[in-house]
Amino acid sequence: MSALIDLKNIHKTYKNGGELTHALKNIDLTIDKGEFVAIMGPSGSGKSTLMNLLGLLDTPTNGTYILNSKDVSKLKGRELARIRNKEIGFVFQQFNLLPRTTVLENVLLPSIYGKVSNPSQRAEFLIEKVGLKDRKNHKSNELSGGQVQRVAIARALMMQPSIILADEPTGNLDSKKSNEIMQLFQEINKEGATIVLITHEDEIAKYADRIIHVKDGEVTNIENNK
Amino acid sequence: MKLYSILKQSFRSILSNKGRSFLTVLGVIIGIGSVIGLIALGNGVQASITDQISGLGSTNITVMSGSSLASRVSENGVSQRQQTGTPGAGLSTPQTLTKEDLQSLDQVSTDLVKNISGTVSSNAIFKLDAIEERFNVAGVSPRYFQINDLPLSGGKYLDLDDIDRNDNVIILGDSIAHEFFDSTDIIDKTITVQNTEFTIIGVLAKKEESNFSFNNPNSEAFIPDFTALSLFKTNYYNSFTVQAVTSDTVEQAKSQIEDIILKNHNIEDKSLADFSLTTAGELLSTVSQITGVLTSLLAGIAAISLLVGGIGIMNIMLVSVTERTREIGLRKAVGAQTTDILIQFLIEAVILTLLGGIFGILLGYAISIGASRLLDFSGVVTMDAILLAVGVSSLIGIIFGIYPAAKAARLNPIDALRYE
Repeated sequence: MSALIDLKNIHKTYKNGGELTHALKNIDLTIDKGEFVAIMGPSGSGKSTLMNLLGLLDTPTNGTYILNSKDVSKLKGRELARIRNKEIGFVFQQFNLLPRTTVLENVLLPSIYGKVSNPSQRAEFLIEKVGLKDRKNHKSNELSGGQVQRVAIARALMMQPSIILADEPTGNLDSKKSNEIMQLFQEINKEGATIVLITHEDEIAKYADRIIHVKDGEVTNIENNK
Repeated sequence: MKLYSILKQSFRSILSNKGRSFLTVLGVIIGIGSVIGLIALGNGVQASITDQISGLGSTNITVMSGSSLASRVSENGVSQRQQTGTPGAGLSTPQTLTKEDLQSLDQVSTDLVKNISGTVSSNAIFKLDAIEERFNVAGVSPRYFQINDLPLSGGKYLDLDDIDRNDNVIILGDSIAHEFFDSTDIIDKTITVQNTEFTIIGVLAKKEESNFSFNNPNSEAFIPDFTALSLFKTNYYNSFTVQAVTSDTVEQAKSQIEDIILKNHNIEDKSLADFSLTTAGELLSTVSQITGVLTSLLAGIAAISLLVGGIGIMNIMLVSVTERTREIGLRKAVGAQTTDILIQFLIEAVILTLLGGIFGILLGYAISIGASRLLDFSGVVTMDAILLAVGVSSLIGIIFGIYPAAKAARLNPIDALRYE
């Protein structure tokens, strides 16, 4: 299987006032197409920074990031936005949906900023897939926490991205709802989607094929789960 | 698709804060409304004055004593006055129009003019028994009543015999008649004017009063012009009014009259004339100019409130950007470009100001209709004013929306998503 993501020697430093913070140090990581990977670590470990880099919300200070055989580490804002739209589907922990907006419109959101064939048809299909067919015209504030995450997953799939990046997607859910969401991720993964999950909970990480442990800005351990 | 969804989103966000949006837009509504309302009133005043002047007769030519102010204060004016020996110093109007001038106007072809009248007017004390009051008395030619369209309610007009005999006969305006007499049957009664006894031969019908009338015939009395000359112990008329046959003959008649009076006064250079001719058309253009300047001035003042409205828009857009920081972060994460965000917030600002523009036009209409009820002229809302309002309000939306929109567009997606 070919590598979808290839991080080589990635460094990320922030200047905070006069102080230099080394958030990521020398990260080497490859993720293959169709993998389900969890990135684990305590808060402040650098896992969020890693996720921002993977999601092209940020660029590395040093090193190369090859996504889909393309070096994306030196790209500028306009290009980054375009690739985010096309290649990456985000599921955040909170504030996933636009307020006062219907489920259907939320799922359609990425298609406003990019091209996909038959957007409405695809959105309806995805809403049905995540089990919210009867709620497609409900406003986002009329949904439960689990339903919100389902909508976010449907939205993440909208543009047929290369990877789904999920940042603590079950952080606000009880364990029953969390398991349902994780099963949904597993299901999508089986259908071919590459998923990168950020979490600090073992319970959640165990759904992944591979668990990458991060601490103090470094990969400390890679654990095969299958 | 993109534009539709942006528009939809903008309306949703405006409607979700109805109260706030309304208060914000109110500034623009008041601004646009007052600009349109004041322009409408200005146009209304102009139209009303134009009507009045046309009512005076668009074919009327007025000959006034004295030269124009400009030439009077110039050196030429001074030497000219010395030349003709006219009395009067400084800026007071020297009297120069004589009985002979009036009579000489008969030379003007009857193809060009139909009525000629001279006016000698002054304030005089009217006395009847114990009542004593000041009114304006105008010594006029018989034709005056035709030229100025003054119908009688009783009695008869002055005739040429009255003029020739210097008769002490008088026609009273409606208000004066009511001031001195209770009954309406007052023909052939007498009244004392300036210590001279006059016989009342007619009473004018009541004329609709107007804010913009130059004189009010209701409180004026009319006597034969020759009688007036001797009553006021003067040789000079204040003005002549000449009515041209049609508006096409006005200019020709004007130049003939000018030539005749110049010749009478032995003046060769037209610029030194000791009298001035004004046609209704010239008066109209002068008045239009003045009311135009006034209208622009008022609209300019009203435009300041538009500026304030614009600042209100900017303020609320800044609040909106801050409130929706995470929405902006989310949009950027799913692929929105900087320009997408910029356009979204700009469109929202423009929609707000356009709404203000639309309601402002309605307010402007209301102001103009309200004013028409209270005053005796009606506002005129022109298409120009409406287009101006729409243009200006969208421009304000862009000008005052660009800063908040740029602020939104520049947000870093990571910071925006994390914003609490």
